[in-house]
Amino acid sequence: MNGEGWQLSNPILGLAVVGATFLLFYIVGYISNRKSASVQDLYVGGGNVGALTNGLAMASTYMSLATFLGITALILNLQAPFILLWIQLILAIPLITIIYGTSLRRMGAFSPTHFIRNRYGVKASIIAALFMILVSIMYALGQMIGIAITFETLLGIPYLTGLIVGGLIIVGYITIGGMAGATNNAAIQMVIMALMFIVPLAAIMKAVGGSGWYFPPLLYSDMVPAMLESMPTFFDYQFSPKWYFAIIPALTIGALGLPHLAMRVYTASNLKSARSAMVWFAFILGLVFSATYAMGFVGVFATATQGLNVSAADADKLTIILNLVYNPEWVTALVIAGAISAGLSTLSGNLLAIGALLSQDIVATLKPNISPKMSLRLGYAAIFLGGLVSILLAIEPPAFLVVSILWAFGLAGVTNAPLIIVGVWWKEANKFGAMAAAVVGGLIYIIVSPFVFPSIVLTGHAVTDGMGLSGALLAVPVSFILLIVVSYITNRMPSLQSKLSRQSDIELIERIHGWKDIQSYRYNSTAGAAITVVISTVIAIWALMPWNM
Amino acid sequence: MRAYKKEVQFTIWMTLAFVLVGNAGLFFAMFPTDAMMFGFPVKYIVPILLGWFGVFFLTIVAGKIGNHIDDEIDRENESLGHSDEIKGA
Repeated sequence: MNGEGWQLSNPILGLAVVGATFLLFYIVGYISNRKSASVQDLYVGGGNVGALTNGLAMASTYMSLATFLGITALILNLQAPFILLWIQLILAIPLITIIYGTSLRRMGAFSPTHFIRNRYGVKASIIAALFMILVSIMYALGQMIGIAITFETLLGIPYLTGLIVGGLIIVGYITIGGMAGATNNAAIQMVIMALMFIVPLAAIMKAVGGSGWYFPPLLYSDMVPAMLESMPTFFDYQFSPKWYFAIIPALTIGALGLPHLAMRVYTASNLKSARSAMVWFAFILGLVFSATYAMGFVGVFATATQGLNVSAADADKLTIILNLVYNPEWVTALVIAGAISAGLSTLSGNLLAIGALLSQDIVATLKPNISPKMSLRLGYAAIFLGGLVSILLAIEPPAFLVVSILWAFGLAGVTNAPLIIVGVWWKEANKFGAMAAAVVGGLIYIIVSPFVFPSIVLTGHAVTDGMGLSGALLAVPVSFILLIVVSYITNRMPSLQSKLSRQSDIELIERIHGWKDIQSYRYNSTAGAAITVVISTVIAIWALMPWNM
Repeated sequence: MRAYKKEVQFTIWMTLAFVLVGNAGLFFAMFPTDAMMFGFPVKYIVPILLGWFGVFFLTIVAGKIGNHIDDEIDRENESLGHSDEIKGA
């Protein structure tokens, strides 16, 4: 079990399964897209998607190739701490829904940047949109790497060829599909992914001697004693509470700023439906996430007790390798189709977000007289270009595909989430605060990441810095502080009053919370803002203190 | 004032509840334990179970309360409309 080139020995079988899956997606996309005539249809599917379909689509958009391939790779590398890091990612949609999703849905926003434009003006929204494009591309990059790896294993072709072939097919599908196709497809993909992950996992578990194979997500405790014997450190926390705390600003708050996720809340037919979708999302995602932890556990178990040897370079292929070793080829072909589905749905969410950001939030903002037809064409062009850029970036991939994705979470948490959260809940927040927060916070986050200046990092622990955990613990609170303090000061500077739009901001906030009148006591708490600044300051100082990794 | 206060308090407490339930690993990082539960170490299985069923339960609660607060806001809006009409008459 020392596969040098892990691949299907019968690529025709794999191709047939993947081809059939794609055909299904194209047909659903085509049928749905015939109805997609306007810009609104393209991005939010007309705003009339049912709760179950939407919940499934939310889970599918979120459950990317990172879930299918990336998590198991990092469980192999980091063991239990990575599972503990991943668990809270389920909070994304519930928190988006309760903190600002329903408000933005009430406003009729296309995207978070649409809200930022109405709330903070054109300049701030363009800054936010530029950062969001970077977030979406980094997120899409992880998917592209996964797609290339999947095609590499499927066809036995080199990584680069897999990247170009797989990448172009998928970008083509998304450009044709739009969000209406994407929402229906994403729901189908979620069902396919869940089945193609959990059923083969049951067979693998049975093969390695697990007796709880009939419900793999939770019933693998009988394998724990053998695991503890051969790898006593598997369940160790390894890192300090500071590391675990840093997950909150980096990933929990980070997910609140992800444009493609928030857009799913706006596809709901009404607020009640959006809240029901959140319940479905939590149930389904919990099931699939728990199954991935089990898959990671089984992978480590197989390497520790069964003599399976997975090289560091092949870590991202662990899920596929386990299937190649323990399951018949046709099962592996189904798993590969499931992995491609996972990449497809997330990538379509990313690319549609890039399309919306570029055509709606930047071009249409700068040139408001552009025709709707031209705007729609521009959206399609942006979707395709975004895909091409992520293919080009994936030519020289980072060590783990999930690292770039998690780094993108942190950047969204720094540049977007504070603007939306504070913007929805505090009338005093203004454009000067927003621009200061996004630009300074964003730059700090990028500077302390290992990607630009490898010597300027906070911990020196490669994965912690690369995933943006350390950077976000510093930059997210700095962003909140700047937004609140700069807004508070500039609101009191008489020379700037003519440049601020206090009255329309107040009206907007009251309206998106559902009020028909305006009351000065609502959403105006100076004490709440002060508490946020104090807590953020303490956290930012803590981030600068030694991490002792 | 009532529905507004409820809305703000609901959002703060619900957010805290979600963050705590989803980040149970932080609790066990601060208070380590070697206890076992259902055949797994507690510090492993409890965060997983809370991250699934705990979050699922909270989404049901959040959905119900969120809908209820929306209705209250609508009612307050309606009563406002009535008082305006009375004033107008």
